Formats: sequence, C-alpha cells, structure tokens
Amino acid sequence: MSRKAKDNLVRGAIYGCAGFTVLILVVIIGFIVIKGLPGISIDFLTRDYEDKTTYISVDAAEQEQTSGQEEGYVSSIKAVIGLNDKGQAVITKLDEDSPLKEAKNTKNEAYPVSKKDIITKAGDLKIEGISSLSDAVSSLNGLSGNVKLKITRPGGGILPMVVTTLYMIGISLLISAPVGIFSAVYLIEYAKPGRLMSTIHFAIQNLAGIPSIIYGLFGSLFFVKVCRLQYSLLAGALTLSIILLPTIITTTEEALKAIPKTYRESSLGLGATKLQTINKVILPNAMPGILVALLLGIGRIVGESAALLLTAGTVAQIPQALFGNSASGATLTIKMYTLMKEENDLTTACAIGIVLLVIIIFINWASKAITKRLLKKGA
Amino acid sequence: MDRNLSRNVKRDVWEKIVEGIFLICALAGVISVIAIIVFVFYKGLHPFFGEDAYSFWDFISGTRWAPSQNVYGVFYMIAGSVLATAGAIIIGVPIGVLTAVFIAEMAPKGAVRVIKPAIELLAGIPSVLYGAFGLGVVVPIIKEISPMVQGQSLLAVIIVLTIMILPTIVSLSESAIRAVPKSYREASLGLGASKIQTIFKAVLPAAKSGILSATVLGVGRAIGETMAVMMIAGNPTQGLPNSIWSMVRPLTTNIAMEMSYASGRQQEMLFATGVILFIFIMIVNITLLKLTNKEGDK
Amino acid sequence: MAEKKPAKFSVQDLSLYYGDFKALNQINMEIPQNEIIAFIGPSGCGKSTFLKTINRMNDLIEGVKVEGKIYMDGTDIYKDIDVIKLRQKVGMVFQQPNPFPMSIYDNVAYGPRIHGIKKKSQLDEIVETSLKQAAIWDEVKDRLKKNALGMSGGQQQRICIARALAVEPEVILMDEPTSALDPISTLKIEDLAVELKEKYTIIIVTHNMQQASRISDRTAFFLTGDVIEYGETEEIFNNPVQKKTEDYITGRFG
Repeated sequence: MSRKAKDNLVRGAIYGCAGFTVLILVVIIGFIVIKGLPGISIDFLTRDYEDKTTYISVDAAEQEQTSGQEEGYVSSIKAVIGLNDKGQAVITKLDEDSPLKEAKNTKNEAYPVSKKDIITKAGDLKIEGISSLSDAVSSLNGLSGNVKLKITRPGGGILPMVVTTLYMIGISLLISAPVGIFSAVYLIEYAKPGRLMSTIHFAIQNLAGIPSIIYGLFGSLFFVKVCRLQYSLLAGALTLSIILLPTIITTTEEALKAIPKTYRESSLGLGATKLQTINKVILPNAMPGILVALLLGIGRIVGESAALLLTAGTVAQIPQALFGNSASGATLTIKMYTLMKEENDLTTACAIGIVLLVIIIFINWASKAITKRLLKKGA
Repeated sequence: MDRNLSRNVKRDVWEKIVEGIFLICALAGVISVIAIIVFVFYKGLHPFFGEDAYSFWDFISGTRWAPSQNVYGVFYMIAGSVLATAGAIIIGVPIGVLTAVFIAEMAPKGAVRVIKPAIELLAGIPSVLYGAFGLGVVVPIIKEISPMVQGQSLLAVIIVLTIMILPTIVSLSESAIRAVPKSYREASLGLGASKIQTIFKAVLPAAKSGILSATVLGVGRAIGETMAVMMIAGNPTQGLPNSIWSMVRPLTTNIAMEMSYASGRQQEMLFATGVILFIFIMIVNITLLKLTNKEGDK
Repeated sequence: MAEKKPAKFSVQDLSLYYGDFKALNQINMEIPQNEIIAFIGPSGCGKSTFLKTINRMNDLIEGVKVEGKIYMDGTDIYKDIDVIKLRQKVGMVFQQPNPFPMSIYDNVAYGPRIHGIKKKSQLDEIVETSLKQAAIWDEVKDRLKKNALGMSGGQQQRICIARALAVEPEVILMDEPTSALDPISTLKIEDLAVELKEKYTIIIVTHNMQQASRISDRTAFFLTGDVIEYGETEEIFNNPVQKKTEDYITGRFG
C-alpha cells in the first residue's frame, strides 16, 4: 500500500473513533430522554412516591340550594369532584371556604385536602365503582355534621428521592468539605516534605482508586453495624464523605498551589501570622477552586449508587431522622436502580435519569464557568 | 501597639492548636484507608480460620456460588471480572487513544469544542445511567444476534465498560500527547515524515507512559464498576464463561446483589469477595503509583 | 553626617547556611537609625539573603541555618522573640510589586486589620496617611475601592510601600524595589525613600549603582557572602579602600 493510502486509512480510523465517542454520548442521552420523557411531568417531580391513604374528619357545610354550579359540585364539602377509572371521587376543584381545607386527621392534626386527592370512603359509604357522577355527588351531598372521609393522595412522584438526595448532599459536604479543605491546607501550607506527607498522599491516591462497592462494604459493616446507625442517612453520608475526600483534597490542593508565593510573603512580611495569612489571603483567593471541588463532590454524590445501596437503603421515603429506624432513604440514583432491577420499570427509571442528566450537565457547566472566570482573572 | 518583642504565648498556642486540627483532618484519609482495609479484611478472612473454616482453595478455585448449600466458589467471578476488564481495555484503549490523537493533533477548533465537553459529560454520567443504557439498548440488540436466549452477557458487559472507561483513557492520553515537546514533531516532519507517521512514530511513543497510566486507571475503573454491570451481566450462580455470549457474574455484582439481605457465613463470604476485589485494586493502584512516580523522576 | 546616630541594628558574626552551602560569611555591621543603607553587589552575592535575615523572612525557607547575632535596639532577634512582632516593626517591600488581589483600600488596611484595628474611621485615617506618605494618595484617592492589580507597576509598588507603612514599622527593607519599574516610577520611589528616612530606617538592596549613590547614606558592598566594604556612600563611591569594590563600581565586573 502506498504511504498516502495508508495515511488516509489511519486518518479515517482516527476520525471514526472520535466520531464514535461523540455518537455514544448522543445515543445514551437520546435513549434516556426518549425513554424517560413520557414519564416527566410536574406531578412526577412534586408528588410523593407511594399513594398515601388517610382518614380525616370534616365538618360538612350547610346545604345550600344553589343553581348554576358546575357539574360535579358537592355543596356539603364545597368542592368539585370527578370520577377516575376506578369509579372513585377525585377532587378537581376546591372552594376558598371549603371545609376540606380545615380537615383533621385521626391524630387531630391539620390535614388539608388538596386537588387530585381521591375520596374512597365517606362515613360508612364506599365510593368505588360508581359509574355516574351525579350518583357520587348526591351520595356525598347526603353527608351532614362531622363526617369521616377516607382520602387517598396519589403518589408516583420522586419528591422523597429529591429530598433524600438533597439531604445526602448537605450532610456529606458538611462532613467532608471542612475535613478535605483543612487537610489540603495542612498539606500545602504546613506539611514539610517527608514521610508523613508522602504517607498522606499515598493514602489519598489509594482512596481515589477504591471502587465504591468496597466503600459500601466498609460502610455497611462499620457505620451501619458497628456504629449502630442502621441503614440511614448518616451512615450513607459518612460513607460518601470518605469517597469525596480524595476529590476535595486534590482539587483544593491544586487551588492552593496556584496562589502566588508572593501573597504569602507579603502577608507574613506585614506581621500577619500564618493562620491570618491563610484566613485572609489564601482561602479567599482559593475560593473558586474550592467551589469547583465542592461541585465535583456534589456530582459524585448525585451519581453514587453502589456505596449507598449498602448503607442508606432503598426505601422511597423522606428520612425522618439522621440515623436509626426511620432514617433510611433512597437517593434518585438508587431509586433509578431499583426501578430497573426490581420493578422492571425502565420508563420511570429513565425519567429519573433525565433529572440526573440535568443535574450533571448543570454541574459540568457551572464548574467550567468558574474555572474559565478564574483563568481570565489570572491572565 | 505592643513594641516589645516578647512572645505572645496565647496566640502561639492558638496557632499550634489550629495546626493540630488541620493535621488531624489530613490524617483522616490515612485513617480511612487503614480502617477500610482492616474491617474488610478482618471480616473477609474470618470464614477461612477457626473451627468451621471454609477451605480457601475451594473458595478461590470454585465455580459455583450456592449460599444455601454452603458452597462459595468465586473463580468464575474472577474470570468474569478479568475477561470483562480485558475486553473493555482491548477495545477501549485504541478507540480512546485515537480519539485523544484526534483532539490533540488533528481536530479543528470547532470540533474540539464539541468533543471535549462530550467526553467530560461522559465522565460525569452516573453508572446507573450506563446500566439503563445497557439494559435498554445493548442487551436487546445482543439478544437479537446472540445464539443464547438472553442478551445479558459478557459482551454486553464489555461494551458498557468500554464506554465507561473511554473518558478516562481519552482525557489522560490527551494530556500525555499534549505534553510531548513540539520539537519532536518538528524533527520528525523535518525528516520528511507525514503527519500520520509523525504521530505514530514520534509522538505516541513519547507519550507512552502517560497512555499506560491511562490504561491502568481504566483497568481500575472497569474492574471496580458495579451498578452498570449488575443489570446486564446476567449474574449466574455457576459456571465459567465460555464465550462472549455467556452470562458472567463479576466480583463487584456478587457483593451488591446479596449484601442487602445476607447474614452470617454468606455475608462474610461477600466480604471475602471484597478482599479479592481489593487485592486486584491494590495491584492496579500500586502499578499506577509506580508509573506516575517514574514519570515524575524523568 | 558628622553626628553619630544611634545604631538601629548591630550585626555580629552573622553566618547563614542553605543546607551545606554557606551563603553569608561572618558579617559584622552597624546600621544607624534614620538613614538609607544600600546593599550592592553582583547577583548571588548574598545581599538579598542578608536583607531577609533582618526580619527573619528566611525562616520560610527550608533548611536555612543562621549563626551569630543581630541586635535590634539591643534585643537579639535570633533569640526567643516573637517573629510576628518583629515583622511588624521591620516592614518589607519586594522586588515585584505584589499587592493582594483586593481593592487599594483593603490592601493598605490589611496590616492594621490583622493587628486588630476594626473601627472604620480609624482605618480610613491610617489608609489616607499611609497613601499620602507613599506619595500616591492624589493618584488613587478617587478609586480606593478599585482592584489594586489594575494599577500600573509603579503605582502598585507605591501601594505596597503604603501597605508596609500602614503597620507603622520602624524599619523598611526594600528588596530591589525598582527593578521591575520604568525610569519615571523609579525616580518617584527614590524620592519617596529619601523622604521616608526622616521617620524610618531604610535598607535597600539594589542592582543599580547610580541609585545607591543617589539616595543612600551608607553602602555595603557584598561579594560571595562577604561584606567587602561598608561605609559612607560618598567614600565608597569616590574613594573605595578595596580593589574589588573599585572594580565593581567602575563596572569592571558584575
């Protein structure tokens, strides 16, 4: 083969590989978006995951004979209802002064009914399998005085996972950010080259290489069992904190290294102590870099699954405590996984995938914007 | 202002205390590594000692995993992990390096502006999403063409792992290629070599150690990947993979699959699986450190 | 210069090592108050190193060992003293203008704030006085909140001098303060130095022999870690005792 032909062949291979890399990304994102988009809606983002059924008591309103009301208006509860496919009464509209807004649950706490809640039982009357709307209206209108209603609030949303993810981000960073940043400060500003420093660096490099499933194993043994935290927010966040350490430390170290030596010299030359110099000159100037470190950390938390699976559990609920019995909760990523693996629901999984993609793209964009501004300022 | 040069003891003590706090934070990494090793190894080596010890040889050479019958063999998992990793490296490294060559040497500015963010994004995508992609796209396609009934297979794992290690390979190789001094290129071009020849005969050999580090890092990422692989590997309870269509059960997924409900011996055996995985990772880490240190010496 | 001014510093047998390398060799020197002392000599002769021993900035360098004594107003600064307080008394201006990336105001107020002054009115006053002393007040008074890095090199250097003055030092060390500046800025800094010696003792390291002869009262000539000659500037430049000094001053080497 002539040299030219050979060159062209190789050139083609190079272009092909580069094209393949981009194509893969397009295919992955395309797949997630196409598959998941039908699942995305306001309800999906704001609703609870499970249906929630509650008994409430309501003081029925005085019956007023008013005409000209919409179809499906129930004057005893001052609300408009419709029927769903199970023949249950779905609330579609509430009057300002509807007694449903003053409803109390069995523990006598306020439990205001809202739109899209479903009434499945009124007093002893089951409201199910009703075929005509006027039947439902008239049976509900028959109520008077203090009545008990069984209300189902429909789920199908990812709100608990969003909240759990936010908790997870908050707690993990609360632990790992100070430790990581201080540790970088120690390594750059205090430590003298020697055995201690190389040991610390060796440890950090090793941490960075450990796969998250091993962190999960460790967390499930140490935090969950030995520390008796159980599957919980705190056990998950502590495990994540260790995972984040290498990222935060190395990124902060880079930021500190980039600060000119003259800043340190002139501050010390003015009679500032080392701590004052770090506090007033070094950390403020390293702030953009530290911010990038935290953003990378958030990206890692949002994407983490294997370690959390073994430490924070897979329950789709908002954790009610830091640790203990009711403290477990699934993050978005974990829920996405269980949806695929256990519930075989790829559509909902991909809908979560879209949310994750949006977060990741935002983080990428933000950290790049910060770095770019930093470079501009340095020039 | 105090004009006397005597020491301010209170301030000096405070500075020392804060330095101590910084030091303790810096030691958190070391403590974590030690704690992880101690706990995982302690729990993982436990079943092989004492009264009711399980034969380590049976564990390491066995090809069946049946906790209910007290049979724990991980050899077929090791084989699965190693084959999947090797496959991903064999396909992923050439693609990644050539992509890096494209970015560093050939691409017009506009193309770089597309490809680099794409690769950064690829690096940031959570592994569960790769799993979804594998499950929704790769597995069905393989099911069509495979002689076996299921699409979950070694091949599916290799494909997804290849994609997952690409960003690592590309970005590290790119920096290695960019670090090659311009004079090498000029010298080669000056001798009448074509651009392509220059890249392959002068630039890539000079970037060799950087590309090697990228490869080793890719090995680490591939062998440790769990969630993406779990959904597409098939995870059989026994049997060495005998073709790319066979299902595999990598070490990582073995742990993730059963950890949530395992207890007693079975749980310890999952930790033992973790120990094996850890040893692989240690080898990777140390190789990488050796490589980068050697680079630093140069 | 007939009257003998009291000595601010008295250096006795000072040697300094970087590891095994002896960078300063048995230096003895009396530095009087309210004068400008110039250190001259070729690169690597130890003049900057010696300057940094005076406020112990050399503490920041790994592996430096100091022998001998430096007395400041009778106190040995290499004994058990507070380095922070020493550096408040002995300010420093560096070769490259190095303002912090903050506003001019915050740069000058940095030192006073560090030392515990919080009141706005007091800080305002210190900033104004210091900038006036550094002869840059008129140029910057309308843009005190602007980033100091936006100023020209010469202005930056005078801001750095103001920043050093704001700490109310007794001595100012200047390490080739004009080597990065244009001739006009250089002259401004030189005039400033001459004005400042009324209140401060100034020690200046310079490469520029004309500069030394223009502004300094005394000059020390350094060569490979030794002080070859030290005396009144006029004497050194017109009538050097040592052959090496003469060679250097007349430009035969260096």
